[in-house]
Amino acid sequence: MDHDVLPMPESTSMDTVTLRPFVLADLDAMMAWASDPVVTAFMTWGPYTSRDALLAFLRDTVLPHPWFRAVCLGGAVVGAVSVTPTDDRCRAELCVVLARAHWGKGVATAAPKRAVAAVFGDLDGVERVEALVDVDNAASQRALEKAGFTREAVLRSYCVVKGRLRDMVMYSFISTDPLVK
Amino acid sequence: MDQSNKESPRAVEVTLRRFELSDVDAMMAWASDPQVAACCRWDPYESTEQLLEFLRNTVLPHPWYRAICLAGENRPVGAVALRPTGDPRRAELGYVLARAHWGKGVATAAVKRAVATVFDEVEKLERIEALVDVANPASQRVLEKAGFTREAVLRKYTVVKGAVKDMVMFSFINTDPLVE
Repeated sequence: MDHDVLPMPESTSMDTVTLRPFVLADLDAMMAWASDPVVTAFMTWGPYTSRDALLAFLRDTVLPHPWFRAVCLGGAVVGAVSVTPTDDRCRAELCVVLARAHWGKGVATAAPKRAVAAVFGDLDGVERVEALVDVDNAASQRALEKAGFTREAVLRSYCVVKGRLRDMVMYSFISTDPLVK
Repeated sequence: MDQSNKESPRAVEVTLRRFELSDVDAMMAWASDPQVAACCRWDPYESTEQLLEFLRNTVLPHPWYRAICLAGENRPVGAVALRPTGDPRRAELGYVLARAHWGKGVATAAVKRAVATVFDEVEKLERIEALVDVANPASQRVLEKAGFTREAVLRKYTVVKGAVKDMVMFSFINTDPLVE
Protein backbone atom coordinates (compact mmCIF):
# COMPACT_ATOMS: atom_id res chain seq x y z
CA MET A 1 0.00 0.00 0.00
CA ASP A 2 1.44 3.31 -1.06
CA HIS A 3 0.16 5.37 1.83
CA ASP A 4 2.77 8.06 1.29
CA VAL A 5 1.34 9.22 -2.06
CA LEU A 6 -0.89 11.84 -0.43
CA PRO A 7 1.40 14.32 1.31
CA MET A 8 0.08 14.77 4.83
CA PRO A 9 1.16 17.55 7.13
CA GLU A 10 3.19 16.07 9.95
CA SER A 11 1.27 16.57 13.13
CA THR A 12 3.09 17.56 16.29
CA SER A 13 3.12 13.88 17.15
CA MET A 14 6.21 14.18 19.31
CA ASP A 15 4.09 15.95 21.92
CA THR A 16 1.29 13.41 21.96
CA VAL A 17 3.13 10.13 21.28
CA THR A 18 4.10 8.31 24.44
CA LEU A 19 5.41 4.83 25.18
CA ARG A 20 4.35 2.58 28.04
CA PRO A 21 4.58 -1.12 28.89
CA PHE A 22 1.81 -3.33 27.53
CA VAL A 23 -0.89 -4.87 29.71
CA LEU A 24 -3.25 -7.75 28.92
CA ALA A 25 -6.11 -5.29 28.46
CA ASP A 26 -4.31 -4.00 25.33
CA LEU A 27 -5.20 -7.18 23.41
CA ASP A 28 -8.02 -5.67 21.36
CA ALA A 29 -5.96 -2.66 20.43
CA MET A 30 -3.14 -4.98 19.31
CA MET A 31 -5.54 -7.03 17.23
CA ALA A 32 -6.26 -3.91 15.16
CA TRP A 33 -2.77 -3.92 13.66
CA ALA A 34 -1.71 -7.53 14.21
CA SER A 35 -4.62 -8.89 12.16
CA ASP A 36 -4.17 -6.38 9.31
CA PRO A 37 -2.46 -8.01 6.30
CA VAL A 38 -1.45 -4.61 4.94
CA VAL A 39 0.35 -3.74 8.18
CA THR A 40 2.04 -7.12 8.38
CA ALA A 41 2.96 -7.32 4.68
CA PHE A 42 6.60 -6.44 5.39
CA MET A 43 6.77 -8.36 8.68
CA THR A 44 8.11 -11.85 9.17
CA TRP A 45 5.03 -12.57 11.29
CA GLY A 46 1.28 -12.29 10.94
CA PRO A 47 -1.36 -11.45 10.15
CA TYR A 48 -2.95 -12.94 13.27
CA THR A 49 -6.30 -14.55 12.66
CA SER A 50 -6.90 -15.76 16.22
CA ARG A 51 -7.31 -13.68 19.36
CA ASP A 52 -6.07 -16.63 21.39
CA ALA A 53 -2.84 -16.80 19.43
CA LEU A 54 -2.27 -13.07 19.90
CA LEU A 55 -3.10 -13.35 23.61
CA ALA A 56 -0.46 -16.07 23.93
CA PHE A 57 2.04 -13.78 22.19
CA LEU A 58 1.12 -10.86 24.48
CA ARG A 59 1.34 -12.97 27.62
CA ASP A 60 4.37 -15.13 26.77
CA THR A 61 6.53 -12.79 24.69
CA VAL A 62 5.47 -9.18 25.18
CA LEU A 63 4.91 -8.99 28.94
CA PRO A 64 8.20 -10.67 29.96
CA HIS A 65 10.20 -8.96 27.19
CA PRO A 66 13.15 -6.76 28.24
CA TRP A 67 11.88 -3.80 26.19
CA PHE A 68 8.47 -3.90 24.49
CA ARG A 69 6.34 -0.77 24.56
CA ALA A 70 2.85 0.25 23.52
CA VAL A 71 2.84 3.33 21.29
CA CYS A 72 0.13 5.66 22.58
CA LEU A 73 -1.43 8.59 20.78
CA GLY A 74 -3.44 10.56 23.28
CA GLY A 75 -5.05 7.80 25.32
CA ALA A 76 -5.19 5.15 22.60
CA VAL A 77 -2.75 2.30 21.91
CA VAL A 78 -1.97 2.59 18.20
CA GLY A 79 1.09 0.41 17.80
CA ALA A 80 4.12 -1.23 19.33
CA VAL A 81 7.85 -0.64 19.44
CA SER A 82 10.28 -3.25 20.72
CA VAL A 83 14.03 -3.32 21.20
CA THR A 84 15.23 -6.91 21.41
CA PRO A 85 18.74 -7.78 22.62
CA THR A 86 20.75 -10.14 20.42
CA ASP A 87 23.46 -12.66 21.30
CA ASP A 88 25.86 -9.70 21.22
CA ARG A 89 25.35 -7.66 24.36
CA CYS A 90 26.16 -4.40 22.54
CA ARG A 91 23.48 -4.82 19.88
CA ALA A 92 19.68 -4.87 19.95
CA GLU A 93 17.05 -4.83 17.20
CA LEU A 94 14.25 -2.29 16.95
CA CYS A 95 10.87 -3.13 15.45
CA VAL A 96 7.99 -0.70 15.00
CA VAL A 97 4.45 -1.59 13.97
CA LEU A 98 1.51 0.79 13.73
CA ALA A 99 -2.19 0.46 13.03
CA ARG A 100 -2.89 1.64 9.50
CA ALA A 101 -5.27 4.37 10.67
CA HIS A 102 -2.27 6.16 12.17
CA TRP A 103 0.10 5.95 9.25
CA GLY A 104 1.31 9.20 7.65
CA LYS A 105 0.98 11.33 10.81
CA GLY A 106 4.53 11.16 12.05
CA VAL A 107 3.82 8.52 14.68
CA ALA A 108 6.18 6.08 12.95
CA THR A 109 8.94 8.68 13.38
CA ALA A 110 8.01 9.65 16.94
CA ALA A 111 8.00 6.07 18.26
CA PRO A 112 11.63 5.24 17.40
CA LYS A 113 12.70 8.74 18.55
CA ARG A 114 11.15 8.02 21.94
CA ALA A 115 12.65 4.53 21.97
CA VAL A 116 16.27 5.55 21.38
CA ALA A 117 15.95 8.36 23.92
CA ALA A 118 15.13 5.75 26.58
CA VAL A 119 16.52 2.38 25.63
CA PHE A 120 20.27 2.92 26.15
CA GLY A 121 19.58 3.78 29.76
CA ASP A 122 17.28 0.79 30.18
CA LEU A 123 19.26 -1.99 28.45
CA ASP A 124 22.63 -2.46 30.08
CA GLY A 125 25.54 -2.82 27.67
CA VAL A 126 23.58 -1.98 24.52
CA GLU A 127 25.44 0.56 22.36
CA ARG A 128 23.80 -0.15 19.00
CA VAL A 129 20.11 -0.27 18.13
CA GLU A 130 19.57 -1.56 14.62
CA ALA A 131 16.55 -1.96 12.42
CA LEU A 132 16.07 -3.97 9.23
CA VAL A 133 13.60 -2.57 6.71
CA ASP A 134 12.48 -4.14 3.45
CA VAL A 135 14.03 -2.33 0.45
CA ASP A 136 10.52 -1.68 -0.87
CA ASN A 137 9.23 -0.17 2.37
CA ALA A 138 10.07 3.46 1.61
CA ALA A 139 7.76 4.91 4.27
CA SER A 140 9.43 2.99 7.10
CA GLN A 141 12.85 3.92 5.77
CA ARG A 142 11.93 7.61 5.81
CA ALA A 143 10.50 7.34 9.32
CA LEU A 144 13.77 5.93 10.67
CA GLU A 145 15.85 8.50 8.82
CA LYS A 146 13.75 11.30 10.32
CA ALA A 147 14.20 9.69 13.72
CA GLY A 148 17.98 10.08 13.31
CA PHE A 149 18.92 6.54 12.29
CA THR A 150 21.85 6.04 9.90
CA ARG A 151 21.28 4.02 6.75
CA GLU A 152 24.28 1.71 6.72
CA ALA A 153 23.68 -0.72 3.89
CA VAL A 154 21.48 -2.84 1.72
CA LEU A 155 21.98 -6.45 2.81
CA ARG A 156 21.26 -8.63 -0.18
CA SER A 157 19.02 -11.68 0.02
CA TYR A 158 19.05 -11.22 3.75
CA CYS A 159 15.89 -12.91 5.02
CA VAL A 160 12.63 -14.45 3.99
CA VAL A 161 9.47 -12.39 4.40
CA LYS A 162 6.14 -13.95 3.50
CA GLY A 163 7.87 -16.69 1.52
CA ARG A 164 10.17 -14.43 -0.51
CA LEU A 165 13.88 -13.79 -0.03
CA ARG A 166 14.30 -10.04 0.49
CA ASP A 167 17.00 -7.43 0.36
CA MET A 168 16.88 -5.48 3.63
CA VAL A 169 18.14 -2.02 4.47
CA MET A 170 20.16 -1.93 7.69
CA TYR A 171 19.71 1.13 9.90
CA SER A 172 21.44 1.88 13.17
CA PHE A 173 21.36 4.32 16.03
CA ILE A 174 24.44 4.31 18.27
CA SER A 175 24.31 5.38 21.92
CA THR A 176 26.53 8.37 21.09
CA ASP A 177 24.46 9.55 18.09
CA PRO A 178 22.65 12.86 18.60
CA LEU A 179 18.98 12.58 19.48
CA VAL A 180 16.69 14.29 16.97
CA LYS A 181 14.34 16.81 18.53
CA MET B 1 46.95 -11.08 9.32
CA ASP B 2 50.10 -10.00 7.50
CA GLN B 3 49.80 -6.38 6.39
CA SER B 4 52.07 -6.86 3.36
CA ASN B 5 50.51 -7.07 -0.11
CA LYS B 6 53.09 -9.47 -1.38
CA GLU B 7 51.43 -12.43 -3.07
CA SER B 8 52.93 -15.31 -5.00
CA PRO B 9 52.64 -14.55 -8.75
CA ARG B 10 51.55 -18.15 -9.41
CA ALA B 11 47.98 -18.79 -8.26
CA VAL B 12 47.93 -20.78 -5.03
CA GLU B 13 45.91 -23.96 -5.14
CA VAL B 14 44.27 -25.41 -2.09
CA THR B 15 41.96 -28.25 -1.34
CA LEU B 16 39.31 -28.37 1.33
CA ARG B 17 38.48 -31.55 3.23
CA ARG B 18 36.79 -32.63 6.43
CA PHE B 19 38.88 -32.62 9.59
CA GLU B 20 39.94 -35.75 11.43
CA LEU B 21 41.05 -36.16 15.02
CA SER B 22 44.56 -36.87 13.75
CA ASP B 23 44.71 -33.26 12.49
CA VAL B 24 45.02 -31.94 16.04
CA ASP B 25 48.78 -31.41 15.91
CA ALA B 26 48.59 -29.49 12.64
CA MET B 27 45.75 -27.40 14.09
CA MET B 28 47.86 -26.50 17.12
CA ALA B 29 50.12 -24.55 14.77
CA TRP B 30 47.44 -21.85 14.42
CA ALA B 31 45.19 -22.55 17.39
CA SER B 32 47.96 -21.96 19.92
CA ASP B 33 49.36 -18.88 18.17
CA PRO B 34 48.48 -15.67 20.06
CA GLN B 35 48.98 -13.56 16.92
CA VAL B 36 46.43 -15.64 15.04
CA ALA B 37 44.02 -15.68 17.99
CA ALA B 38 44.29 -11.88 18.26
CA CYS B 39 42.24 -11.56 15.06
CA CYS B 40 39.68 -14.11 16.20
CA ARG B 41 37.05 -14.42 18.87
CA TRP B 42 38.80 -17.24 20.70
CA ASP B 43 41.84 -17.39 22.97
CA PRO B 44 44.96 -19.39 22.04
CA TYR B 45 44.73 -23.06 22.95
CA GLU B 46 47.22 -24.21 25.55
CA SER B 47 47.01 -27.98 25.16
CA THR B 48 46.20 -30.58 22.54
CA GLU B 49 43.64 -32.04 25.00
CA GLN B 50 41.71 -28.75 24.91
CA LEU B 51 41.93 -28.66 21.13
CA LEU B 52 40.91 -32.33 20.77
CA GLU B 53 37.77 -31.53 22.76
CA PHE B 54 37.01 -28.67 20.35
CA LEU B 55 37.67 -30.95 17.36
CA ARG B 56 35.46 -33.68 18.76
CA ASN B 57 32.58 -31.53 20.07
CA THR B 58 32.45 -28.69 17.57
CA VAL B 59 34.39 -29.43 14.40
CA LEU B 60 33.49 -33.05 13.62
CA PRO B 61 29.72 -32.67 14.11
CA HIS B 62 29.68 -29.22 12.47
CA PRO B 63 27.47 -28.74 9.38
CA TRP B 64 30.35 -27.25 7.38
CA TYR B 65 33.90 -27.04 8.73
CA ARG B 66 36.82 -27.71 6.40
CA ALA B 67 40.57 -28.09 6.63
CA ILE B 68 42.58 -25.95 4.20
CA CYS B 69 45.38 -27.98 2.62
CA LEU B 70 47.92 -26.77 0.08
CA ALA B 71 47.54 -28.70 -3.19
CA GLY B 72 49.35 -32.01 -3.02
CA GLU B 73 49.65 -31.91 0.77
CA ASN B 74 47.45 -33.52 3.38
CA ARG B 75 48.52 -31.46 6.39
CA PRO B 76 46.04 -28.65 7.14
CA VAL B 77 47.37 -25.10 7.26
CA GLY B 78 44.12 -23.55 8.32
CA ALA B 79 40.37 -23.89 8.47
CA VAL B 80 37.30 -22.41 6.84
CA ALA B 81 33.84 -22.81 8.31
CA LEU B 82 30.29 -21.77 7.66
CA ARG B 83 28.41 -20.91 10.83
CA PRO B 84 24.64 -21.34 10.63
CA THR B 85 22.42 -18.41 11.62
CA GLY B 86 18.80 -18.71 12.66
CA ASP B 87 17.93 -18.78 8.96
CA PRO B 88 18.99 -21.74 6.75
CA ARG B 89 19.30 -19.41 3.76
CA ARG B 90 22.03 -17.35 5.39
CA ALA B 91 25.31 -18.48 6.94
CA GLU B 92 28.45 -16.73 8.18
CA LEU B 93 31.86 -17.58 6.77
CA GLY B 94 34.93 -17.62 8.96
CA TYR B 95 38.49 -18.68 8.26
CA VAL B 96 41.80 -18.96 10.03
CA LEU B 97 45.30 -19.62 8.74
CA ALA B 98 48.60 -20.53 10.37
CA ARG B 99 50.86 -17.47 10.38
CA ALA B 100 53.53 -19.22 8.28
CA HIS B 101 51.10 -19.10 5.36
CA TRP B 102 49.93 -15.51 5.65
CA GLY B 103 50.49 -13.11 2.74
CA LYS B 104 50.70 -15.81 0.06
CA GLY B 105 47.15 -15.88 -1.21
CA VAL B 106 46.20 -19.05 0.66
CA ALA B 107 43.22 -17.54 2.47
CA THR B 108 41.91 -16.04 -0.78
CA ALA B 109 42.24 -19.40 -2.53
CA ALA B 110 40.48 -21.16 0.34
CA VAL B 111 37.58 -18.70 0.41
CA LYS B 112 37.21 -18.98 -3.40
CA ARG B 113 37.14 -22.76 -3.07
CA ALA B 114 34.59 -22.53 -0.27
CA VAL B 115 32.13 -20.33 -2.20
CA ALA B 116 32.51 -22.56 -5.26
CA THR B 117 31.34 -25.62 -3.33
CA VAL B 118 29.25 -24.58 -0.38
CA PHE B 119 26.03 -23.62 -2.23
CA ASP B 120 25.88 -27.16 -3.61
CA GLU B 121 26.72 -28.77 -0.31
CA VAL B 122 24.52 -26.79 2.06
CA GLU B 123 20.80 -27.11 1.42
CA LYS B 124 18.77 -23.90 1.04
CA LEU B 125 21.82 -21.64 1.35
CA GLU B 126 21.44 -18.40 -0.61
CA ARG B 127 23.62 -15.84 1.18
CA ILE B 128 27.08 -16.19 2.70
CA GLU B 129 28.14 -13.27 4.82
CA ALA B 130 31.40 -12.44 6.53
CA LEU B 131 32.14 -9.84 9.20
CA VAL B 132 35.61 -8.37 9.43
CA ASP B 133 36.96 -5.88 11.94
CA VAL B 134 37.38 -2.44 10.30
CA ALA B 135 40.95 -2.58 11.62
CA ASN B 136 41.76 -5.75 9.63
CA PRO B 137 42.28 -4.58 6.02
CA ALA B 138 44.19 -7.73 5.01
CA SER B 139 41.22 -9.92 5.78
CA GLN B 140 38.93 -7.48 3.99
CA ARG B 141 41.13 -7.79 0.89
CA VAL B 142 40.85 -11.60 1.01
CA LEU B 143 37.08 -11.35 0.73
CA GLU B 144 37.17 -8.68 -1.97
CA LYS B 145 39.56 -10.78 -4.07
CA ALA B 146 37.31 -13.79 -3.59
CA GLY B 147 34.42 -11.86 -5.14
CA PHE B 148 32.50 -10.81 -2.02
CA THR B 149 30.57 -7.54 -2.06
CA ARG B 150 31.43 -5.05 0.65
CA GLU B 151 28.00 -4.00 1.87
CA ALA B 152 28.57 -1.77 4.87
CA VAL B 153 30.39 -0.72 7.95
CA LEU B 154 28.16 -1.74 10.85
CA ARG B 155 28.92 0.50 13.77
CA LYS B 156 29.42 -0.92 17.27
CA TYR B 157 28.21 -4.25 15.88
CA THR B 158 29.76 -6.90 18.09
CA VAL B 159 31.82 -7.52 21.20
CA VAL B 160 35.16 -9.27 20.67
CA LYS B 161 37.19 -10.05 23.78
CA GLY B 162 35.41 -7.38 25.77
CA ALA B 163 35.72 -4.60 23.17
CA VAL B 164 32.85 -3.28 21.05
CA LYS B 165 33.89 -3.33 17.38
CA ASP B 166 32.87 -1.70 14.14
CA MET B 167 32.64 -4.47 11.55
CA VAL B 168 32.62 -4.53 7.77
CA MET B 169 29.84 -6.72 6.35
CA PHE B 170 30.61 -8.67 3.19
CA SER B 171 28.31 -10.98 1.30
CA PHE B 172 28.31 -13.52 -1.50
CA ILE B 173 24.93 -14.48 -2.94
CA ASN B 174 24.46 -17.79 -4.74
CA THR B 175 23.84 -15.91 -8.01
CA ASP B 176 27.05 -13.84 -7.75
CA PRO B 177 29.77 -14.72 -10.29
CA LEU B 178 32.58 -16.92 -9.02
CA VAL B 179 36.06 -15.40 -9.27
CA GLU B 180 38.62 -17.68 -10.89
